[in-house]
Amino acid sequence: MALIDVADLAFRFPRAEKLVLDGITLSIEAGERVAILAPNAAGKTTLARWLSGLLPEGVLTAERGHVAMAGKPFAEWPVAERATAIQFVGQVPSQQLTGCAFTVYEEIAFGPCNLALPEAEVRARVDEALTICNLRHLAERDPFTLSGGETQRLSIAAALAMKPRVLVLDEPTSNLDPESRDDLLAQLDLLPGGLTIIVLEVALRPSLALAKRFLLLDEGKIVADGTASEVLNDPRCIATLGMTAVTEAAFRLREAGRWPDAVPLPLTLNEALESFGAPLAHG
Amino acid sequence: MSAGKAGQPSLLFTPGESLLHRANPITSLALMLWMISAAAVLPTIGTTVLTAAAILVSLVTGVGKRAVKRLLLTMTPIGVALVVVHGLLIERPDFYDHGLVSISPSGLDYALKVFMRVAAMLMATLLFVTTTHPADMLKALDQRGVPPGVGYLVASPLLLIEPFSDRAKAIRDAQRVRGLDMTGSWKARIKALPVLLMPLITLALSDLDQRASVLSGRAFRALPRRTVINAPHDSTFQLWLRRILFALAVLQLGIPLLWR
Repeated sequence: MALIDVADLAFRFPRAEKLVLDGITLSIEAGERVAILAPNAAGKTTLARWLSGLLPEGVLTAERGHVAMAGKPFAEWPVAERATAIQFVGQVPSQQLTGCAFTVYEEIAFGPCNLALPEAEVRARVDEALTICNLRHLAERDPFTLSGGETQRLSIAAALAMKPRVLVLDEPTSNLDPESRDDLLAQLDLLPGGLTIIVLEVALRPSLALAKRFLLLDEGKIVADGTASEVLNDPRCIATLGMTAVTEAAFRLREAGRWPDAVPLPLTLNEALESFGAPLAHG
Repeated sequence: MSAGKAGQPSLLFTPGESLLHRANPITSLALMLWMISAAAVLPTIGTTVLTAAAILVSLVTGVGKRAVKRLLLTMTPIGVALVVVHGLLIERPDFYDHGLVSISPSGLDYALKVFMRVAAMLMATLLFVTTTHPADMLKALDQRGVPPGVGYLVASPLLLIEPFSDRAKAIRDAQRVRGLDMTGSWKARIKALPVLLMPLITLALSDLDQRASVLSGRAFRALPRRTVINAPHDSTFQLWLRRILFALAVLQLGIPLLWR
């Protein structure tokens, strides 16, 4: 059984004409690292909220279909159990703070404290999250005085402190400078292999660093599902999200007849460096 | 690593190592309630002694400068208003001419009584907020098994004032660069108010929804009790002191009422 199952999910906001999600069906296995790529207004954040169990809520219910984790629909999960099973980090950093903590340390400890864990366990979890997200030097700061990027790292740390089985990240690096982004991606890559990570992104580079499986969401539908090479070279992905700088450079070289058709276009700098030998040898 | 208080903009709290700083926040709260209750029933001489004692304690505990400054800032306009209203404006039988104005000694007495009563109550509150960090108060409430929702009601207004006012300033600046005139007449300023308030209210409502999701995601109120890290120190002595102070606070107010 897959860890998360989405079955024919269709959803629209009250009084809206158009469906935001239109018949989404997908399964995510435990430990998978999945990137759901989508242009703006494609239903990315809404899908992230469904995958995290934050929907359905009140009048916001599915027209058809459902989302289940470990075979149980989210609606049947008690709050504490759901919080330890799955964590969602949204894309607006200031909206991810609880508003109930006077320091970064307390903000991270807030969730584990709510689970009534022993104090030593809470401290161990906070220490680990501080290290992973490079926040140790900010532990005593007021969360509301942090920059956007620091707040984003804090939100991720607070989510990690809940020790979830699944981490859903909605554009996690959108507020980070290149150095902080690379640091965070490297740290996320070091997280335990059992942790399932679902990242919803508009940017290709951070997705390539995090995920092994890629899906393309367009106008509320999953239109591609496969490896990085399969999805990122899909014409629909190129049309909506473009190419990475490396891929585009290789593509132009191919158009100029300087990149052999037999050598696939590289997606990352490492792939490009590996591929350079081939065209040079052919050339 | 502990959750300390360095570098936090925590309103009037002043760090220190005094007895009041080290007291359990509930004990400090009990002391404040007792002082307020005493100020409500004591005669003017009593409230004057109480205020003076509170000022002395604030000086000894190292919070005097901040507390007395706030006391003066708040009480000066109140004092002026009380003297004008009760000493000069409200007609009393003992009015007598004193040059340009008529003064009532009994009115001034009454003004002094109210002034010292308010000053004692304010000083009790200042002593509490300058020596008790809100985070410690929250922990003490959690420690006593107070429902987490009550703690949230105490903490969130204190914490959200700053981001809320930052956002208000950002909206004001954004509207100004789009041509909103904030320097004209009062009429123009009042006219501009809805343009400033609407986005602020809309964003606050949107935040409310997001924050509810975040709290739910962090298992807030999922269990009846929370773990308290760095729980404030407590002792049997403080427990009994609190009981006595709470009992005195109630009796001080209750007995005169029953007596009448």
